[in-house]
Amino acid sequence: MKDVTFGQFFPAQSFVHKLDARIKILLSIAFMVAVFMVQAFQFMGFVACLLFVLVVTALAKVPFGKVLRSIKGILFFIVFSAVLQLLFNKNGTTLWHWKFITITDKGLLNAGFIICKITLVVLGASLLTLTTSPVDIADGIESLMYPLKWIKFPVHEFALIMSIALRFIPTLLDETDRIIKAQKARGANFESGNVFKRAKALVPVLIPLLISAFRRAEELADAMDARCYSGSKNRTKYKKMRLTWRDAIATLVVGGLITGVVFLNITGFLAVVL
Amino acid sequence: MRIEAKDLTFTYSKKSKAISNRALENVSLCIEEGEFFGIIGQTGSGKTTFVQHLNGLIRVQKDSGSLSVGEFDLTAKKCDLKALRSRVGMVFQYPEYQLFAETVKDDVAFGLRNFKKELSLEEEERRVKLAIETVGLNYEEIKDKSPFELSGGQKRRVAIAGVIVTEPEVLVLDEPVAGLDPVGKRDFMKLLHRLHASFVKTIILVTHDMNVVSENCTRCAIFSHGKIHSVGSPKEIFSNYEQLIELGLDIPVTAYLERELKKLGIDVDSDLTESDFADKTAKAIVGGKQ
Repeated sequence: MKDVTFGQFFPAQSFVHKLDARIKILLSIAFMVAVFMVQAFQFMGFVACLLFVLVVTALAKVPFGKVLRSIKGILFFIVFSAVLQLLFNKNGTTLWHWKFITITDKGLLNAGFIICKITLVVLGASLLTLTTSPVDIADGIESLMYPLKWIKFPVHEFALIMSIALRFIPTLLDETDRIIKAQKARGANFESGNVFKRAKALVPVLIPLLISAFRRAEELADAMDARCYSGSKNRTKYKKMRLTWRDAIATLVVGGLITGVVFLNITGFLAVVL
Repeated sequence: MRIEAKDLTFTYSKKSKAISNRALENVSLCIEEGEFFGIIGQTGSGKTTFVQHLNGLIRVQKDSGSLSVGEFDLTAKKCDLKALRSRVGMVFQYPEYQLFAETVKDDVAFGLRNFKKELSLEEEERRVKLAIETVGLNYEEIKDKSPFELSGGQKRRVAIAGVIVTEPEVLVLDEPVAGLDPVGKRDFMKLLHRLHASFVKTIILVTHDMNVVSENCTRCAIFSHGKIHSVGSPKEIFSNYEQLIELGLDIPVTAYLERELKKLGIDVDSDLTESDFADKTAKAIVGGKQ
């Protein structure tokens, strides 16, 4: 249970770590948009995006292996999408044919691009979570959602829910570990049997866990009440987020990347048209 | 069942075998059948890691010493953990947090149903009833209640009934008296002695409470930074006040009083249990006057 890492924050002192969380979230989204804007058959676009990821990783002083590890989780999804492209794209010239399976050159190329796109998007997202602590991300999201207050969306409460959830993940993991051990000591078996048997074996773990989560929630609510916590009105922040020159540079770089991709798209489009 | 650990080492993080990551380091300890054994030490000293080895919740790592519990060799790859766990019961800290079933009866029977599947319903009920009555609760009154409507003390008793229902020979308890009031503590220790007198042959008690150790244990071990600091009778262990303070531990009240009396020139040589201490102190003082 200890091996489960949620939020893979890698603490370090770096340019990327010091960026404002809000900017980082926005720039990550911008980066993903840029990746998806890259048209197929434009190697340069992918090369630029990959280069960007590499440079950011180096700047952030995060071991590259850690960044790559994030792909492991969705490897199945990547392979699945690539295979779909490979099998069902019937455009282009046929390279190989066997019964109902037809593989075309376009299918092959598209599969390659799908792999590149998803991989790059995941790498970008994991760079965000690697260089920003969960608390900062929650703070950033709260700040970014601030405009929603106009439509009476409870932004502060939403952010509070997020940060409490994040804070309790390690606690509940510890608790789960302890309950699993206690039930194992009473002969519970989680390792053998079919899916249904295993699911049923989890009941003695889930019920105590749920009860303890409710107990903790109640205790936390009491503790907050005791300190006169009352929502968002007139609350000040301990850690104020401020934009610095770093954020300006980062924005410029990502902006440049997007412009480059758009430029490549336009020239590619013109080349086809003309 | 005799418990024998030899050079037991355990590292939490698999990757780095750095010494700082070691929860246990070359722990060698023998616990004979019939002992009431106390394990004391600061938080993070490795006590819990050690006792969780005893029923295979934590497996002995490769090339990290050996451990045997009775005829079970826990170093071997193939070890019948189910049989072992039915004979080595383990009560965790705050055991009431493990309750889950709809009725007290079902919860107590959980271990029994896991370990001894061939048991008839009558036999199962007989054993559940015995376990619930052993922990001092009224079976008829409580059996169909939800464990969640009981009081805190009752919950803990039910949880313990759920462990002793399989009649384990070795009972390991991790901080069992934490959060109990003085009366609850005393009742609980009485229960442990009752169990020790019946089917439970060996009791291993992990605790911070030195008074519990001096009052009940035949022998005890001090864990410090994953190593065994010393093993011996409470009398031997608690004779070195300064060292225990240095380890962040304490000594029982009786040992403290004995020490203070010695400064006044009254030599009381008790086994540190309250009754023996009271007897011998009375004798020493009265005898001194005469």
